[in-house]
Order: sequence, then structure tokens, then C-alpha cells
Amino acid sequence: MRKDLLVLAFIALLIAVIVNGTKIQSVEEYYLTHIDDITEDAETVFISIDAGAVLDNWDKLDPALRDEKYVPEDGVILEKTEYVLRPNDTVFDILLRTVRHNKIHMEYQGADENVFGSVYIQGINHLYEFSCGPLSGWMYSVNGEYPEYGVSRYVLEDGDEIEFKYTCDLGRDIGHEFTREEGRKIQR
Amino acid sequence: MKSFADYHPLVLFVYYLAVVSLTVFLLHPAIIIFSLLGAVVFFAFLVPVRPFSRDIVFYFFVFLLVAITNPIFVHKGETILFFLNDNPVTFEAIVYGIVVAAMLVAVIFWSKAYSILMTSDKFMYLFGKAIPKLSLVMSMALRFIPEFKAQIKKVNRAQKSIGLYTSDSITDRMLSSLRTFNSVLAWSFEHAIHQADAMKARGYGLKGRTNFFLFRWKRRDVTMFISISLLIVAIFWLIHRGVFAYNYYPALTAVEWSLEQLPQFAIVFLFMILPALIELKENLLWIYLKSTI
Repeated sequence: MRKDLLVLAFIALLIAVIVNGTKIQSVEEYYLTHIDDITEDAETVFISIDAGAVLDNWDKLDPALRDEKYVPEDGVILEKTEYVLRPNDTVFDILLRTVRHNKIHMEYQGADENVFGSVYIQGINHLYEFSCGPLSGWMYSVNGEYPEYGVSRYVLEDGDEIEFKYTCDLGRDIGHEFTREEGRKIQR
Repeated sequence: MKSFADYHPLVLFVYYLAVVSLTVFLLHPAIIIFSLLGAVVFFAFLVPVRPFSRDIVFYFFVFLLVAITNPIFVHKGETILFFLNDNPVTFEAIVYGIVVAAMLVAVIFWSKAYSILMTSDKFMYLFGKAIPKLSLVMSMALRFIPEFKAQIKKVNRAQKSIGLYTSDSITDRMLSSLRTFNSVLAWSFEHAIHQADAMKARGYGLKGRTNFFLFRWKRRDVTMFISISLLIVAIFWLIHRGVFAYNYYPALTAVEWSLEQLPQFAIVFLFMILPALIELKENLLWIYLKSTI
């Protein structure tokens, strides 16, 4: 009988740990209604989210997503917006704050869940990787250049301009040529 | 009573293949509901009330487990209900989880009924000639779980009768059943080898070896086979026309009910409920015949 009690206590402990580790928020609580004010001496960055490439590949798009709700008529999900840069902010921190402020859907894979050691953006505004053909997904550029590493490893500087773009052709349709040299560089 | 089992093995096999693959590949909620209903009602005719209700309770918990798992791990969908550890829990993911869980339980019940109807001799009759080795392995694999359960019961009873494992503690009983499980696992490997050896010693799969089977292709098999085939063709034609297309993410497909759809879904419903209908007809007939004595 004593053994039973011990097992029971262990199960109770397990449940307590799990309950303690879960955080339930309502939708209003999760989305930010207020964000850092832009003061004169604040460092800021610009961010925009764009799915214009989908418009040229409409036939490849998943039929369930062929709606203006998911791909706006001009492809712009978020116009260029200015946000305050906190010290050591990465591209991911800014993106997360932006989507929470603008109530845009976003799903990502945490940095501890993949081999790249960086957060991976799976979908924004219900447009997921592979939603528009096998070579499609989200890419980002800072000041017009594609860094070729993960969003949570890019530390931003004052005045940087982030662009999130949806590609249907591995970046070639949004002005990024993935060259063989770059591939080697990543492997190293 | 098992009157559906009296049909020719080929009829049964074709029916099961079609019903299970339709359930798995057509993720339309209405079809899943039809399939679940057909499977559970048919299974209720095959087994006594007590084991049936025990199964229902057990698979209800399986259903719950699968249904809850999906919204925890999948965050797709438009209608966000609340956030769990910064991850959205969506209405669409919950609906999809329920549909997939129902699909799983439906397939399990079809398979349980299948294992009662399609005994291994019927399976051997169908495939023993064409693919002797594979059909032997298949029939052994299908027999594995029931045989395993029976053996566990046997070992457990033998051990109890010599005074072991009679502790009141639940933990002790669970640990002891683990030991029984271990020993039966070793037994099952050995048993499989013995079985295969025994079949080989009897010349299984050799040329010129004949078999005796009781199965005859009767007139009612022909009518059943033709009606099942017609239903399957009709359903595939409807699939081709996109009648059963349904999307869950990012938003559920809006279903517009119209009178035109009624016969389309009625065909699927008829196909799924067919075995239960046959059992019902035979049972009613039996009651009627008894009353006239």
C-alpha cells in the first residue's frame, strides 16, 4: 500500500509541474495593444511583410488560400512600419512584436527544435512554407541583402530595413540568386 | 449472428478494402460520421453487449486523446480561441482533431469486425495460391494480437494459481503484469517460428499441393458483389467531381446544404451502413420465423 501512495504522490507532482508550466492567455491578452513609443533619441528599424510573389504564381497556390484575406490584392500584408529597436534585438524579436501589435497570424519553429539553432518562420498570415509550390516559403532581407541565416541570429542596428517576402521559387522571384558559393559558405 | 460473414471471402475483402480506404482518404466530416456509425453498429451486431460496451468506453478515451493532441501541436487555423504558452489554440485544429480521431476509431472498429469475419482460413483461401509466403505472414500477423492476449491470460492464471501476484497494491500488480508481458513476448517469437516450421513440414506452398475449402460462389454473392461494385464506382465518380472535397485549414469549408447533395451523401451512407443493414434484416427475419413457430 505504501508503494501505491508513493506512485500517487509522484503522479500528483507531475500534474502540478505540467499545470504550473502552462500559461493560458485570451486573444486580447496576447496581442499587444501598446508598443514602445518612438521618441527622438530612440533607435528604430523598419519592417514590411509582402506576399506579392504569390500573385504571379496564383495557379500554384493552395486552393484553400485563394482569398483576399490571405493574399491581399497588392500582396502587401504589412506596409513599411517603424518600430523601436531595443538593445540586442534580433530580426525575430522585431517580427514577433510587429505581428503581435498588428494582430497578424504567425507560426514559427523554435530555435531549439531544428538543426540550424535559429527560429524558423513557418507561416505568416496563414501562408505557410510549401503553400505555393515545393519551392515556396518566407525569406527575409535586411537593407536589401539576404543574410542566409536564421532570423533569431541576426542582431539589428539603428535604421535597418527588414523586408519579409514570400517566395514561390527559392528566392529567385524576389531578387535573390542562391549561388553555389553561398551554399558552400553555409556548409562550412 | 454473423450473416454478413456468410458471403464469399472475395466480396468481404473487396468491401473492407473499399470502406477502409474511403474512410482514410476522404476526410469529409459527414463521411467520417457515416463510417463511424456504420462500423460501430455493425460491430454491435457481432459481439455480446458486455465486451461491446467495454470497447466503446476504451475507444472513447482513445478518441479523446487523439482529439486533444491535435490542437496542442497544430496551430494552423483562423479562429483563435486562446493562447497556450504563446501558441494559438484554434477552432479549426480542434475540429480537425475530432474528425481524425473519429476516423481512427472508425478504422479500428472496421478492423475489429474484419478480424471476426475474415478468419485466417478465408484469407488463405484468397491469397494462399497467389502469394503463399506473404499471406502466411499476413495471417500470422493478424492473429498475433488475439493470440497474445489469450496467452497472457493463460500465464497470468497459472501464476495466480501457484500463489504469485496476489498483492493488493496496484503498483505491484502492474509490475507483475509487466513480467508476464516479457515472458509472453519471448513465447510469441518462438511460437511464430514453430508455426512457420509446422506449415513448411506439411508442404505449404509446394507445387501440386491441394486445399479443401467450403467457399462456393453463390447467386447472392453475385448480386452482393455487383451492388458493392456499383456503389464504389458511384462514389469514385462523385470524388472525381469534387463533391467530397473539404478543407480544414486555414478556415473550414462552408457547407451549403442543398437537395441535390442528399442523394450523393445517401450513396455513401448506404455503402457504409450496408453490413449493419444485412445483420439487421437477418435478425428481424429470425425473430419473425421464431414467432411463427
